Amino acid sequence: MTNAAATVLKPKRRFKLTKRVFSYPYVLFMLLFVVIPLVMILVNAFLDADNTLTLENFKDFFTDKSSLIILANSLLVGVITTAICLIIGYPLAYILSKMPSGRVLVLFYVLPMWVNFLIRTLATKAIFIAIDVPLGMGTVIFGMVYNYLPFMILPLHTTLSSIDRSYIEAAQDLGADSSTVFLKTVLPLSVSGIISGITMVFIPTISTFAISQLLSNGKIFLFGDSIQMKFEQGLYGVGSIMSLVMLVFVLISNFIINRASRKSGLSVGRSLW
Amino acid sequence: MKKRSLALLVLALVCVSSLTPLLAACNTAGGGITGGGADTLVIYNWEDYIDIGLLDEFAAYYRGVTGRSLSITYSTFDTNETMLTQVMRGETAVDVVCPSEYAIERLMRAGLLANQTELVTEFSKEYPDAFSNLDNVNKTVLGKIGETFGEMEIGDDVYDMRDYMVPYMWGTLGLLYNTRIISEEELEKYGWGMLWNESDNPELENMILMKDSVRDSYAAVVFYMEEYGLLPDGVSETYGKPYNELTANELINCTDKALLDAAEKLLTEQRERISGYEVDFGKDDMINEIVYLDLAWSGDALWAVEESEYDEETDTYQLGYYVPEKSNIWYDGWGILESSDSKLAAMMFIDYMCSPEAGARNIGYIGYTSAVDQEVMKYDYDAAQALLDVEYLWYANAEECEVYDDGAGNMLFRFEWVEGEEYYLDIDGDEVDVADEDALIPLELETDDDGYYLLPDGMKDSYPLDEEYIVCPDSISLFYYDEGRYPEITDNLGVMQDYGDANEDVVNMWQRAKAGGGVPSSLWWCLLAIVLFVGIVLGAYFLKEALKAKPRKLTNGTHSDTPSADDIT
Repeated sequence: MTNAAATVLKPKRRFKLTKRVFSYPYVLFMLLFVVIPLVMILVNAFLDADNTLTLENFKDFFTDKSSLIILANSLLVGVITTAICLIIGYPLAYILSKMPSGRVLVLFYVLPMWVNFLIRTLATKAIFIAIDVPLGMGTVIFGMVYNYLPFMILPLHTTLSSIDRSYIEAAQDLGADSSTVFLKTVLPLSVSGIISGITMVFIPTISTFAISQLLSNGKIFLFGDSIQMKFEQGLYGVGSIMSLVMLVFVLISNFIINRASRKSGLSVGRSLW
Repeated sequence: MKKRSLALLVLALVCVSSLTPLLAACNTAGGGITGGGADTLVIYNWEDYIDIGLLDEFAAYYRGVTGRSLSITYSTFDTNETMLTQVMRGETAVDVVCPSEYAIERLMRAGLLANQTELVTEFSKEYPDAFSNLDNVNKTVLGKIGETFGEMEIGDDVYDMRDYMVPYMWGTLGLLYNTRIISEEELEKYGWGMLWNESDNPELENMILMKDSVRDSYAAVVFYMEEYGLLPDGVSETYGKPYNELTANELINCTDKALLDAAEKLLTEQRERISGYEVDFGKDDMINEIVYLDLAWSGDALWAVEESEYDEETDTYQLGYYVPEKSNIWYDGWGILESSDSKLAAMMFIDYMCSPEAGARNIGYIGYTSAVDQEVMKYDYDAAQALLDVEYLWYANAEECEVYDDGAGNMLFRFEWVEGEEYYLDIDGDEVDVADEDALIPLELETDDDGYYLLPDGMKDSYPLDEEYIVCPDSISLFYYDEGRYPEITDNLGVMQDYGDANEDVVNMWQRAKAGGGVPSSLWWCLLAIVLFVGIVLGAYFLKEALKAKPRKLTNGTHSDTPSADDIT
């Protein structure tokens, strides 16, 4: 037993079941399923079909006009979905946070999330077909909003309901009418919720592929669809580059969002995520 | 320190060991593991592409022949590309695979497949009777494969794919259509143009589904170009002759830039006129009449036709399958990997799959056309029994037909097409012209309580299909002479090869066609609507503020003028 011998040699260091030890399974999991795949994508991006080092993949992607248009489409769909989610979600979360039963009611908005999103999307498609709505961009955006709305409402509701009532009362005492109260106290105090809501919606929407494929019969072709097709057809190099581009966009949007939340400098109202 | 790393190791081990069965379960997903013993066989096949019971039976048969038990691992893939990645990167140890023709070509070019002709010669020394079923494979199909893949040049040598692969299932690419909307005359007139709604049928607009698959869509578009004279002018770089003189085979394998560009243009145009692209829901959408026309593979199409509504009065199904004059013929085949350690079991398995019974049972289970020759299956007892089980065949009933003797001792069955229009079939399902109906002698065959004809005593030894009853000749005719299931193999059917280096170009062309050019205008409208909405809300707020400020200024004005500036801000 070499291990036993080693312990005898170094009697001072004793094993302690510290908090750190409990993180090891997580670290191992992250290594196996996050870091290693990312490294594989990075390596694949520089390899061609015969596994030799090349930069051809980059050239292929950045000179292909259609890929760039598809990317622009995806970003636009992401922006539109996020905006609609915010426009619908904010008033809803605001009303719910003012109601005494809001905590229970918000559950109803989260409830659909317990059903697998593919099943929900297929059901949505069936409804559209039943009421003769032509499948296309409209239905895709509807599906996206429908799927990601809870992710917008939840952080907003958490932030809004944790705003101290006394701020609002103070504003009212100082003579502000209801719209001024909202604009000058509630809205600034809920910025952190808005930002986490936007993060939760925008980042997944720019990379979805199943919703767009199902709700448009494959006619709306987004960046996620394109990546999937590249991998399906064995074009691992270009597919990897596209995944990296996607990753860069996620990082950029994260960075912007972080900057915005730091700039606003508000820590009142905790965010859920 | 050591103890800590030991704890880490233990933790890691626990993690890995808890994950391993999970991963193993993933690997054998959909699989049935049979027995346990010395020999192993790993089969890698399409999803839902075999009668799973055959695996256990093969294991028993293998034990009977070799005296050794066999443990079979059956795993599945969903696209040729998945299979190719797994096998070519050596990620899974597999003995037998069953991909499509072009994937077999790619495996052969990578030098991964074993020469089966040599294997059979080698193993025949020890087991001379074990490979007799291989002869059952349809010779016409084999001939067709030989035309395209008979002389493959790989490196300096010439290879014949038929040495490396035994076909399993085959079929055509065609149009699955709704018989209420589209007439057969229309199909004959417009052919592949139907997918572009060349017939200008208003009911078809946005009611067409394409396959979400590069290869099948490309085949459809080049045939369409050929039919309508839309092929590019000039001479093909690959074949050195004008495009309009290319054969079906050359046409679908041509990836010249001029042809790709023309195809892209037409596919982009088509995008505006169709409902969408599918790979799996097309059959259901056709049956539910959500769409009226679908590009389909023969097996899927036949399945859909059988599932669709049947109108007794007009003897028509709601759906039909039509193969235009020129089309694509595809096949999937069994290959043995060079790296396999169980080549004997693999070769015997392939042989077992070529038995008439296995062929019939697979047809019953999958619905596709087996490569086992129909002439062999037709006279085989086990095959007939398997088809009777799945109701592709049924017993002759007195209500359905009358039995006659043609005077020479042959039985004839008289069926009625519609009222008053009759036709005669012999006992094997072949149609017979009867010149003089009066010369026929009616036969009084015994029937059971339900009206099914019992086999006469004198025929019990000679009738190959059943011991007790007569299999309805009409069902035999319907099954074996179905043009959808067993199309005539001519030069107008082309076999598709691997695109090779051009693969990326074709995929990119397909992506451009599917994505359409530019940003869809609906996106801009959406964005505009949102901006407008936000603008209106903000505008309303400021308007309100402005309106509110005015009367205050007025009332203030009566007392003093000083605070007015503060109020406005």
